Amino acid sequence: MRHVVAIASRELKSLFVSPVAYVVLTLFAVLSGFFFLASVLSFDSNVAQAQQFQAFDFLRELNLNDHLIAPFYQVMWIVILFLVPGITMGLFAAEKANGTQELLLTSPITIWELVIGKYLAAAVFVTLLVAVLGLFTGMVFLYGEPEVAKSLSGLLGLLLVCLTYAAVGTFASSVTRNQLIAFFLSLVMLLIFWLLSVVADLGAAGGAVGTNSTVSQILRYLSSADRFEQMVRGLVDTRDLAYFAFMIGTFLLLAKASIESVRWR
Amino acid sequence: MIEARGISKRYGDLLAVDDVSFSAESGEVIGFLGPNGAGKTTTMRILTGFLPASDGTALIAGHDIFEDPLAARRAVGYLPEVPPLYPEMDAVGYLRYVATLKDVPRSKRKAAVERAIERCGLEKVHRKVIGSLSRGYRQRVGLAQAIVHNPSVLILDEPTVGLDPIQVREIRGLIADLTSADQAEGAHTVVLSTHILAEVEAICRRVILINAGRKVVDSPLDELTQGGQRLEDIFARVTTADDAAGPGEGKR
Repeated sequence: MRHVVAIASRELKSLFVSPVAYVVLTLFAVLSGFFFLASVLSFDSNVAQAQQFQAFDFLRELNLNDHLIAPFYQVMWIVILFLVPGITMGLFAAEKANGTQELLLTSPITIWELVIGKYLAAAVFVTLLVAVLGLFTGMVFLYGEPEVAKSLSGLLGLLLVCLTYAAVGTFASSVTRNQLIAFFLSLVMLLIFWLLSVVADLGAAGGAVGTNSTVSQILRYLSSADRFEQMVRGLVDTRDLAYFAFMIGTFLLLAKASIESVRWR
Repeated sequence: MIEARGISKRYGDLLAVDDVSFSAESGEVIGFLGPNGAGKTTTMRILTGFLPASDGTALIAGHDIFEDPLAARRAVGYLPEVPPLYPEMDAVGYLRYVATLKDVPRSKRKAAVERAIERCGLEKVHRKVIGSLSRGYRQRVGLAQAIVHNPSVLILDEPTVGLDPIQVREIRGLIADLTSADQAEGAHTVVLSTHILAEVEAICRRVILINAGRKVVDSPLDELTQGGQRLEDIFARVTTADDAAGPGEGKR
């Protein structure tokens, strides 16, 4: 545990003494602000239009959670998908390029401590990103009355997605000494995981795989998209929580195996 | 302190280290010699637990490097050829981090870091960011990193490579200081790899010469150079001729 904390805090410190952390956080805050504004404006124009055309049914359905917070989270999810690989790319790749991996692997620490320490640093950082989104959500509460539980469930969904992406990025960084390769590797893996359910849908539509065939079920199980949508809609299912835990565990295991494989070669 | 038992390392078809055995008592300073690519770094990486051996094993301070790796690694200080530094950290923060990784207890960490800084002459620069230090100072920080947990075995891989002559002299003096101080304490073993022969003559008391992965010479320095033989000649003889006992023997 002592080692895990030491590794994680060194990683975080080095993020925060370099401009990287500030640049990423600032840009993320600016982007979030932009998309938040867009969501507010689009909500506003929805209301105005509904009033103008006297669409009372639609007005009755219109609410802050589904028509402002949810679209905002969905857009930010895409931003996060591109951002997390940038945060995690250096975790192991930089140590290898720097020669400091030799220090880590000749120290009396286990590979697990190393992987968990690195992942913990990434996890803290992505939690900061989600906290930024929490601030924007908080603003909605200042001026309106969205449902608390539903907003929190959406934030939790984002956090879980971020933590899963961080685990994928940790693995990607462990297989290479080149940060750019680590970045693209995790980005591609994340995009594939994102699109799995789309593939399943397309396959089902074209008749290539049955809607409920094993293949399509596996694809759907692995995809994070549907689960995230559910959480944004306010549905926290233990199966979804188990999925995120499973994905994080799997990718950290893979990262551990990949670091260990240096010793097999 | 160190007992290497038939260490071999294969990379595919290439036999990088071939059945190397040696033992070193505490207080010994061993020069690990050989041409580039002879297997010095590989052997050292195996001893420090960075690489597994294809065959054989070693005991470090009584701990098997494969059966009890954490205890063995706790007893080793290692300076790789490229010092493992984080350019964005200052020397104190870095040494404190290394001390934590090497299991120096929290209560002794501060004293251990101060001692390493003092012994490596880093007092003037210990608050500076490592990336801004000169190469000589960076090498000193690397050395401080290797001794911060007061290990019983010190493994230094080409500690003076790439330094200018003044820096080389400084680092050499530092190692000589460390080892003489160590010997006063009576519990330290140093293995130092190099292909600079003058370095061996300046610091080491025993020489192990490796060529093409095999140990070809293992003898105290003064025995080797007895009768006015120069280390350079011995080096040239055993590394160029395949059978070391061949023509060179006649010169004795």
